Amino acid sequence: MRKWLFFAPLAIFLGVSVFLFTGLFSDPWTRDSALLNRPLPEFDLPDLMQPEQRWNRELLTGEPFLLSVWGVWCPTCKAQLGFMTELKEQGVKVVGLYYPLPVDPAFGDHFSLGQLQRDVQRELAYFGNPYQFNILDENRRLSLDLGVSGSPETFLVDANGKIRMHHVGDINPRVWRQKFEPAFEQLQQVGLAYQGAQP
Amino acid sequence: MIPELGQLALTFSFALSLLLGIVPLYGSYTGNERALMLGKPLALAAALFAGLAFVALAYAFYTDDFTVINVASNSSSVLPWYYKLTATWGSHEGSMVLWVWILTLWTAAVALFSKQLPLLMQGRILGIMGWIGVGFIAFSLFMSNAFERSLPYFPVEGNDLNPLLQDFGMIIHPPLLYMGYVGFAVSFAFAIAALLSGKFDSTWARWARPWTLAAWMFLTLGIMLGSWWAYKELGWGGWWFWDPVENASFMPWLVGTALIHTLAVTEKRGTFKSWTVLLALATFSLSLMGAFLVRSGVLVSVHSFATDPSRGMFLLVFLLIVIGGSLLLYGLRMRSVRSQARYQLFSREVMLWGNNVFMLTATLVVFLGTLLPLFHQELGLGTISIGEPFFNAMFFYLTIPFSLLLGLGPWVRWKQQKWQPLIPPLAMIAVAALIVAVGLMAATQSVQANVALIGLLLGAWVGMSALGEVGQRIRQFGQGLAGIRKLSASHYGMTTAHIGFAVMVIGIAMTTTYSVERDVRMQVGDTVTLSGYEFTLLDLYKLDGPNFGGEAADLKVERDGRFITNLHAEKRFYTIQRTVMTEAAIHARLSRDLYVSLGEALPGDAWSFKVQVKPFVRWIWLGGLLMAIGATWSLLDVRYRRKVLRRAAAPSGDDQSDAKKELAHA
Repeated sequence: MRKWLFFAPLAIFLGVSVFLFTGLFSDPWTRDSALLNRPLPEFDLPDLMQPEQRWNRELLTGEPFLLSVWGVWCPTCKAQLGFMTELKEQGVKVVGLYYPLPVDPAFGDHFSLGQLQRDVQRELAYFGNPYQFNILDENRRLSLDLGVSGSPETFLVDANGKIRMHHVGDINPRVWRQKFEPAFEQLQQVGLAYQGAQP
Repeated sequence: MIPELGQLALTFSFALSLLLGIVPLYGSYTGNERALMLGKPLALAAALFAGLAFVALAYAFYTDDFTVINVASNSSSVLPWYYKLTATWGSHEGSMVLWVWILTLWTAAVALFSKQLPLLMQGRILGIMGWIGVGFIAFSLFMSNAFERSLPYFPVEGNDLNPLLQDFGMIIHPPLLYMGYVGFAVSFAFAIAALLSGKFDSTWARWARPWTLAAWMFLTLGIMLGSWWAYKELGWGGWWFWDPVENASFMPWLVGTALIHTLAVTEKRGTFKSWTVLLALATFSLSLMGAFLVRSGVLVSVHSFATDPSRGMFLLVFLLIVIGGSLLLYGLRMRSVRSQARYQLFSREVMLWGNNVFMLTATLVVFLGTLLPLFHQELGLGTISIGEPFFNAMFFYLTIPFSLLLGLGPWVRWKQQKWQPLIPPLAMIAVAALIVAVGLMAATQSVQANVALIGLLLGAWVGMSALGEVGQRIRQFGQGLAGIRKLSASHYGMTTAHIGFAVMVIGIAMTTTYSVERDVRMQVGDTVTLSGYEFTLLDLYKLDGPNFGGEAADLKVERDGRFITNLHAEKRFYTIQRTVMTEAAIHARLSRDLYVSLGEALPGDAWSFKVQVKPFVRWIWLGGLLMAIGATWSLLDVRYRRKVLRRAAAPSGDDQSDAKKELAHA
């Protein structure tokens, strides 16, 4: 019995390495997402800058786009604005989903829309504005439905309104080249065909 | 041309390490003395060539050679020259070259400073170090080539160094940390050599002890610097984050701490033999595991390098060979070992055993906290995250009994100790600790029964008991100066390190309890008051640095109308990497830090500020520094040097008598 006890460390190590091995092949940044290849959840939300304009799922179909969940309170979101603006100039449609954060939770869930609009405008003017428009997730319901766990998060949505890809973390040149670009170009082809098929 | 030479040098170092892995080991099995003698020159040459490779890479960074991919993606021409040099190890590829160089340096050091080792043992140790070198150099050469060029098309400007790494702390943090990680390879090689020879007398422990202490000292300093850097550079005043990468360095530290304590038992008493070997294997294994976790992308962390499954695969196979192989050898060889254990329940052996229990429980806590999310996910149970509250609570409960034991341990003799003689001095120390703790609290804050009081009590108990014990030993050795001189350096080292622990516990308890912070909106001329300090915003202006722009704020701090200091905080925007960095303004005193960081620009020419007063936060790093000083002091012990001379005079056979002498000494 005592003899075999000296093999216990080996057994423990081998057990751990099985997990390390399987862990290698599952990228923690992309784990989730029950939403992949499902349509965007239903929503009806106002535009951030012109609240009388309302957006819903149907209005977003027709061409592939990036849905970027962000907020002025999120430093990494700022960091990606520059590169995403370059993407916009290359013809990538980027839609923002603004995730509001009250400045002080003690004041309740209220935020001043005018103040928020000014903050957003100021930030976008300083770092670059990649967004075609921003949807204001008033009660954070859509973010919840999308399973957003932290910002920034970006979803690639195809022309039919289906979610094709999900990324947690910033969009930088490397992520774009390696992850998004091939899929996006393919979807663009499909999207053109889709538009062609519509009378 | 230079990068190619660098790569060539690294290849040479690879070949030399391969020879080092083969020739002396061959010699150790055939008894071929010439093969054994080759170990030293091979180790020195491998270190030389690895050093040349590192210099070549540093040169490429210094001269902005953007044809090298590694340089182009981690440096830029506008970077100040010193950051260009530190960018050498700012990326995964470059840091591997540094890692390899440090590993070959340790190997060379073993070859140079092991004259007292029997040639056979020396050959085995160098051979094992050679094989570890082969693994890491192969990883660097084949899986993460730092010298790769992007010819013929190369960028005219680099991508700049990650702004987080543009800091003094970052210049020395990785080299120190690697010195620690890789240094444990030496204790590992000693343990394997002992396993191969089948001899587990106290000699291997004595030889391994100074090396383990040195590695532990570097690791301690590396972790401290990392913590200090995070505090300064991440901008919100935290000093430990339980981030997977921090945990990866903390685990070998904990087990390494256990190891330096059991090495003492094995050296002086000849017991705990199999246990000490296992700890030596585990310490380096955990260092390797840390390297794997950081560089494979299995865990998500702010520190992680670019993830690449093929790299992870290579490292995992390497782990399986090194750790799996050594643990298999351990299982096979250890069946025959018997310790002649003769000690009572109340003895120093049992005290040190207690130390091990706590150290390993702490390791287990960190291990589970770090890897449980991975297990959970791979078992298909979904994503969970284990954060600070878990670690903090566990460590809080572990620290209390551990500190009580630490105050008692050094007083207890080997073999057996009677209770009665210890009661008067320890009772006095307990009373004194109570007075000091409450006094210190009354002097800085109001006296309350809280975590800070517990921390102060424990810290005072450990610190005063360490001082009292050293005082008592000195008195035993003789009057005044004679006694002071007679006590060994390693004893002073131990006392210093224990006091370091006490200082750190006090720092942690006071900071976590009494830190105050406020997020405020300030315009020029506004004043905010926080625990008696009045912070006035004097000026706000635009910044214009070499590779960054941004905003800066000047503040004035007063207390009771008395001027304390001026503070200068910055919010930098690094233009190439498009990253925002907070440069906090810190005014440090032993009793408190004033910490101001710039938040966001607010409408109406105002900014949001985070203002913090953090009492005793310096004590945390001071404690770490004392621990490292303690380790260094122990290393200076004549014991480790005298042996060289004695052994040179009398080649073998005085091991037993030596051990006996030391027994009598202790």
